[in-house]
Amino acid sequence: MPTLDATKDYYRVLELTVVADQDAIRDARRDLAQRYHPDTGHGDTERFRQVQEAYEVLSDPLLKRAYDRQREQRGAGAGPVTLTLLQSRDEMPPMESQQMLYLFAEIRPQEGLRGPRKRLNIGLVIDRSTSMQGERLHNVKLAAVDLLESLQPDDRLAVVTFSDRAEVVVASQFARNRRALRSAIASIVADGGTEIYQGLAIGIEQVAPYLSDDTVTHVILLTDGRTYGDEELALSAATRAGADGIGISAFGIGEDWNDLFLDSLAHRSGGTSHYIDTPSKVQRVLRAQVRGLSNLVLKGLSARVGAAPGVEVQAAYRVLPNMELLPIKADNSIDLGNVLAGESCAIALELVVRDAEAGLHRVARLAAEANSIASARHVELWRDIEVTFTSDYQAKPVAPRLLNVLARLSVFSLQEQAWRVLESGDTRQATHYLESAATHLFDLGYRDLGRAAMLEVDRLSHGSDPSDKGRKKLRYGTRALSMSIS
Amino acid sequence: MAQKSGKVTCPSCGADNLPGTLFCVQCGTYLPSGGPLRTEPLPEQEDGRPARPRYDNGDPAERARTINIEVSVLDSGRKMLLSADREILVGRLDAAHGIFPELDMTTDDGLEQGVSRRHARIYTRDGTCFVEDLDSTNGTFLNGERITPYLPYAFHDGDALTFGTMQLQVRVFDTGESV
Repeated sequence: MPTLDATKDYYRVLELTVVADQDAIRDARRDLAQRYHPDTGHGDTERFRQVQEAYEVLSDPLLKRAYDRQREQRGAGAGPVTLTLLQSRDEMPPMESQQMLYLFAEIRPQEGLRGPRKRLNIGLVIDRSTSMQGERLHNVKLAAVDLLESLQPDDRLAVVTFSDRAEVVVASQFARNRRALRSAIASIVADGGTEIYQGLAIGIEQVAPYLSDDTVTHVILLTDGRTYGDEELALSAATRAGADGIGISAFGIGEDWNDLFLDSLAHRSGGTSHYIDTPSKVQRVLRAQVRGLSNLVLKGLSARVGAAPGVEVQAAYRVLPNMELLPIKADNSIDLGNVLAGESCAIALELVVRDAEAGLHRVARLAAEANSIASARHVELWRDIEVTFTSDYQAKPVAPRLLNVLARLSVFSLQEQAWRVLESGDTRQATHYLESAATHLFDLGYRDLGRAAMLEVDRLSHGSDPSDKGRKKLRYGTRALSMSIS
Repeated sequence: MAQKSGKVTCPSCGADNLPGTLFCVQCGTYLPSGGPLRTEPLPEQEDGRPARPRYDNGDPAERARTINIEVSVLDSGRKMLLSADREILVGRLDAAHGIFPELDMTTDDGLEQGVSRRHARIYTRDGTCFVEDLDSTNGTFLNGERITPYLPYAFHDGDALTFGTMQLQVRVFDTGESV
């Protein structure tokens, strides 16, 4: 009596896709059995046995059904974390040219799931350049003290400041001798320029020795200005930190900092950048960040798209908790960082499919993995994306939730494109993108953002540069467009 | 089988988008899958244009000639106009095995009616239509009589073909320019 083991991929053993029917299974077994039969000169006993085992399960309709169901559940994550998937179409006409297929995937920890509170290992990296003088530094210092108060005695804190060079104000230590820590923070004074790399590197250096599996290690960077000439160094330091398991969040205060650079910096470790428009908000934002870090459910989440030949991942976006364009690595994987208790992580992918043959095809497999803090284990989820190519193709309505996500993503993407083409000096195109974004923002009911976009259109059409404030308002404002779909 | 291409042109800004795009990449206009996305039915085209390159045996008279075969499935009422300038495979689609029949019976309950994946082939020689059973499990019948596998049987306008238990009525249209 054959027994099935849902941890094994029988279809892969038989070199079949999951859509194979009994004839295909029989044929595959016959061919592979001939190829690996131990009696032949080139036999492979182990492979032969695996083929036999896979065949015994898949050729029995009852066992096959049970196996398929168990595999499906394993992939979707029947346990504490689930992966759900929406695709814009499950049927396409066979075409020699490329076609678009949208995917929306949501990785959701079970309601109420939360592990034991992890110990925090925080490196606070503070810009103390001259421009921080006054209200900004005052609020940052208040926020730093507030952060200190919210830490548990077993948490660690390091404080590093930077201007033209970096100094360690508080070497990484347990948050116990609070009075001494408070006065160290209070002693920070503003002076000099903005050299982010030095500060970031020393911040990472401070937290790195205390990295461990039962600790959340994170560097929080607060700045109000632009760094010049050391961007590349900072980015590669962030990449190394991310690979080691150190998260980085970047907070920009005011309007003069480089949002694209901070985005990129934070993305290297799956973190995000944040815009703080008025200094009085620093405290609240930082407190939320620390609360989030101590409520992690999933750590180091990443998604990977295994694409069939002829299928390309054109773009990847984070949709929840915030909209963001995500960098896709060479192996088609995407870093998604941490998932907090009560939140879910959703992404949208644009796949470009080129397939001219009719039939049911598996165009891609989306796999997600993370370390679950709650259950202290590695979580792996996957879903197959299947499309039937048929010349009888009839357009079917797209799932409303997916349509809603894509509508918002389209607006976010339009304004992102505006800034991108503006970098290369194409004002006309940028104006067109911003105008379109404004129209759809008004349509969706975001009049404030719509007006902000129209203001920038106005500036551009009068030959001036867009305002830093308007640009940040739009970039960070449209990120929150996905809030209403969660 | 494949459709050539089909850009979706945005009605608002005129930009070209890949088929399947839902929001214009240039202006964000919603592009409900419509006009340009609709598949031209192949090979059952209504006007009978040859869908594939014509079979060419070098005979100029033959080249000018097109025979179209219209089959109607009695049960489902589906009608298909096939251009017989190349061999027509009758069967059920099975992409995993590379079986892409020109006359695909999948949607007509082909499986239930005992149609094999490679059931029969239909072709023309010198203006005559032939059907040949490919050793199908449930057989092919011409006007009610089971035909011997792998032997060509001529059929004509108005004949009845049965694949398994699926009954079809055949019409043959000869543009007949041959001498």
